[in-house]
Amino acid sequence: MIIMDTNQIMIFSGAILLIATFGIVTRRGFADWLGAYRYQSIVLAAITALIAYVIGVWEIYVAAGLTLVIKSIIIPKVLLYVTRNLEIEFKVETNPYVSLRASVIISAFLVALSYFLTQQIPFKSDPIVSTYLPISIALFLIGLFVIVNRRSALNQVVGLLIIENGLFLFTLTLTHGVSLIIEMGIFADILVGIVISSILLLRISRTFDSLDVGKLQNLRDD
Amino acid sequence: MPSLVEIVIGIVQALFIIAFSPLMVGIMNKTKARTQKRIGSSVFQPYYDLMKLVRKDSVVSDQSSWIFRSSPWINFVAIGTAAFFIPIFLSYSPFGLVGDILLVIGLFALARFFTMLAGLDVSSSFGGFGSSREMMMSMLLEPALFLTIFVVSLTYGGSNISGIVIASADSSLILHPQLIFALIAMFVIILGETGRLPFGNSSTHLELTMIHEAMVLEYSGKSLALIEWSSAIKQLILLSLIINIFVPWGISSSVSIPLLTTGLLLFIAKVSLLAVSIAFLESRVARWRLFRLPDLIAMAIASSMIGVVFFYL
Repeated sequence: MIIMDTNQIMIFSGAILLIATFGIVTRRGFADWLGAYRYQSIVLAAITALIAYVIGVWEIYVAAGLTLVIKSIIIPKVLLYVTRNLEIEFKVETNPYVSLRASVIISAFLVALSYFLTQQIPFKSDPIVSTYLPISIALFLIGLFVIVNRRSALNQVVGLLIIENGLFLFTLTLTHGVSLIIEMGIFADILVGIVISSILLLRISRTFDSLDVGKLQNLRDD
Repeated sequence: MPSLVEIVIGIVQALFIIAFSPLMVGIMNKTKARTQKRIGSSVFQPYYDLMKLVRKDSVVSDQSSWIFRSSPWINFVAIGTAAFFIPIFLSYSPFGLVGDILLVIGLFALARFFTMLAGLDVSSSFGGFGSSREMMMSMLLEPALFLTIFVVSLTYGGSNISGIVIASADSSLILHPQLIFALIAMFVIILGETGRLPFGNSSTHLELTMIHEAMVLEYSGKSLALIEWSSAIKQLILLSLIINIFVPWGISSSVSIPLLTTGLLLFIAKVSLLAVSIAFLESRVARWRLFRLPDLIAMAIASSMIGVVFFYL
């Protein structure tokens, strides 16, 4: 029988999180990436619970539960509800700046880059930091790349959400759990941010008849 | 030097692949038929088809050269030779001394090369476009396949299939997270290599949807039987590679009758499960546009690249 310790389970869960992130990167349609984001959040919640188990702080279990409820249920529901009146051609990323296949390869390079960068930093030998820190930075870089790459403002939200998940993992990894009130504040912040950005999206689509951010710099005379 | 019993078992393994492969095709066709609410033909239908084709005369165009006539035989011999290097129920193949996984890929490439030549040889338009598509696909699939194999070989130390399977039999996916990425890549590659659905539809004879079938459109009789049989063998070889590299639980590591029997039964169960799940996947997805297929292969390449990164962690 093969004996697994928590260290190996952590590396394994990190791999699963990366796979879920790539699932988001490869989706073009709005509903598709929202589904993939839901899976990523479930994996993130599982990782949070695992970190809570390793550190042994009950507050992180609450954070895991909040992640599960807010990010995998409430945020997708809110986004779907707010964008229900948008036309379908605004929701699908038909023409990104870099093609989908190139962006997948670039994302893989970004993962390699984040591993390279974090190996330059001397840390005390902490398995949580050494496992999850490169993954959180990779999530951050991939999210930035997705924002830069996509034309449709609606689909740029996904980059924001990936970055947010990466930052959540980053804080959790380095601080081993901040106090619960701050976590709650962050979650409330995300929800408000999603609502504000969707209102902004609706205004953009009404004013410009398009969500293409490349067209925002065109002058209009009305 | 392997003993006589081992050599006999090795030959039995290869013959098992060759004999068992049409049944896999039958199981997949049956599953697809059931998911489409059809009864479907019996799982043994590919055997009847092969027997009928062998009895029939074949028609050969008088414009064709020796390439057209010899390529089914080269196909069958190349892929049949590759079957000798694959461990099935014994975790090593005694013929593994002479060739590793790269040789298996090379033999596949040889078979594919002659199929492409045969498609061009009769100068029918369908053969031509089938060959050009196949060339494009294989040009993209091969680097992905090699990267995936590098991940596996780096993990288990060597490109010999027997060595890989022996090492993976007492290891696990959880111990080597890079193998999950390799598994994803390998799965995509197998769909591409066997012309399964997001890549090409092997069950229709609608010319625009097929890649592999367009090249062999001119064959009939015995030659067609050989071509279909060798593509069935190739499919089973790839499926058993994925099973024995990634989930080799229960494979027998020594020559003893009870262990070999459980190994065989477990292998049949696992390969049938994999075939059924691929058939389910096929009935869920539509065929992708030809120029979107590089997206899928790029995913496989990216996945195995992250696998390499995880290995050097």
